[in-house]
Amino acid sequence: MSGEDDSSGWQLTESDPGVFTELLKTLGVPLVVDDLYSLDAEALAELQPLHALIFLFKWVGGESSEPSSGGQYDPEFPGFFAHQVVNNACATLAVMNAIGNIHGLKMGPQLAELLSFTAGMDPQTSGMAITSSDWLREAHNALSPPSAISLEGLDLPKTTEDAYHFIVYIPYAGSVYELDGLKQAPVKHGAFSESGEGWVAKAREVIQARIATYPPGSQVTSEQVEFSLLAVHDDPVPHLQEQLAQLQAAGRQSEAAELVVKLSNENSKRERWAFENSLRKHNYLGFIHALLLNMAKAGRLEAAKEGAKKALQERIERKKKGELMDED
Amino acid sequence: MAETRLAFKAGRAFRRGSTNFVDPDPTKGAILIQNGEDGLLHFIWKNRSTNDAEEDLILFPGDATFAKVEQSAWGRTYVLKFSSSNQRHFFWMQDADPSRDEEFVGNVNRLLADPSIVPIWYSEGYNPNSQTAGPSTSSAPAAGSSQAGQHATPEELARIRSIVSTLGAGGSGGQSFQPTPEISLTDVLTPANLRPLFASRPELAQALFPHLPPDLPSPPTVETLERVVSSPQFRAAVRNLDMALRTGLLGGLVRTLGLPEEAGTGVESFLRALQDQARREEGEGGDRMDTD
Repeated sequence: MSGEDDSSGWQLTESDPGVFTELLKTLGVPLVVDDLYSLDAEALAELQPLHALIFLFKWVGGESSEPSSGGQYDPEFPGFFAHQVVNNACATLAVMNAIGNIHGLKMGPQLAELLSFTAGMDPQTSGMAITSSDWLREAHNALSPPSAISLEGLDLPKTTEDAYHFIVYIPYAGSVYELDGLKQAPVKHGAFSESGEGWVAKAREVIQARIATYPPGSQVTSEQVEFSLLAVHDDPVPHLQEQLAQLQAAGRQSEAAELVVKLSNENSKRERWAFENSLRKHNYLGFIHALLLNMAKAGRLEAAKEGAKKALQERIERKKKGELMDED
Repeated sequence: MAETRLAFKAGRAFRRGSTNFVDPDPTKGAILIQNGEDGLLHFIWKNRSTNDAEEDLILFPGDATFAKVEQSAWGRTYVLKFSSSNQRHFFWMQDADPSRDEEFVGNVNRLLADPSIVPIWYSEGYNPNSQTAGPSTSSAPAAGSSQAGQHATPEELARIRSIVSTLGAGGSGGQSFQPTPEISLTDVLTPANLRPLFASRPELAQALFPHLPPDLPSPPTVETLERVVSSPQFRAAVRNLDMALRTGLLGGLVRTLGLPEEAGTGVESFLRALQDQARREEGEGGDRMDTD
């Protein structure tokens, strides 16, 4: 990873399932990304058929280049695998690695062209092809705030989350593979059984082994989430709607009612994602100006300024106290 | 496009007849040193009221120097003099705060001697937003911001970086580099301050809807306003604007909001200018809102 900030025009995005799902939509891919709070069978069963798991964690640096336990590099991997060439593009790169190997996946023409263009390329060249793709970069950047203020190159502290590192787990030719854009090649973790849960059972083993290698205190808890999991799966809505229609036609009211609840939850989530995405893309300068102007007209701005002065004082006091305590 | 290397507030002064006296002209102005499109260094005096460049002198390296007029009792009079002729142009510093005179004059002379140098700014312990008691001037230079909409120059970016890096992401880099720390916009635009505003003025909501994201999944209501101002995206935008205002270089941007350049020199200048704008708009009649 270069220390330089060479973002090559790629903006840093949030690693939110709503952002990923929106990106997939733009790519013409009918899949959905959801947060996974647990790897247990029940949680995963809800999301079957599961096409890929994305494991994200804050980059702590100093990670060895040894493949994680139980795996081996497979430089002959025939599928799609791209290196992460631009740090800010990491989310989109992870998506590409996650969906580039799904057999028979529906997708838009630009993505189809990009995948066929990169077929057979080595990972580094693939990575460069991805990051030089203007339409893909635009789709990616559409998910983060526009630079409202034309002071590019300013290196203002970033307000979106710090860059997460993404690792993708997929099934391929009967084995579970780990695709990490910062590693030289995909890592093969061994064969899985098609029966029962299928590949996710093996993936669970591999991911739990990985989590176990992190220092204690960085487990996934509600207070301190150092890493998280995303599941890439089929959009459940069309299927739920079909099922609902069938149950209603068959007069199975109580089961239909359960589905209505599921559909309603799913739709609320989509509405929330759509709301958040539209907020992400917006330039707030005009809104901020209008708010402050109207606060002034309503005679409320002075009081707000006074409150801000108090808040500032309190912070200064707290810092001073903090400094004094350090000196002891 | 001409690139401003340096700018600061200054007025002109003119010789009184054939005497040795120079009388300062009160017109508000600025001296700008620019790399012109012709590839030459331009010494420009701009009238800040009309925004016209009334003097535009081309200077070749080593041609001219900018010297203090020692005989001036007031102490802030300078003369641009030429090695090749008897031409003299007199100026007087118009920034209420004289502490930066030396810095500006030093850089003018460095540029006049060699246009390729990078101006030297006092970045350690220096705060461009140090608020003096005077209400009408700020000590921030008009560098760059006097060109509406122009991007910051490389020197300005270097200076901003050194200032911003001491600001730190959470103020944790803070040493005592600010004589008067400025309030933060994030403490002004709090949901606690905004909710009562929305509640007390339903007609205000209508005026704000056009400024919301245009592609919301459902038509906006007052509840939408509350959701937006509590959202991480809005709060991040406020933080960004706050940080950008602290660089003192948003003069060009704030003009697009109908505010004067000074409004782009800091958070408090921004808020003061907004209060002026509010008063002006109220005074123009139309909807009169009752003050609380």
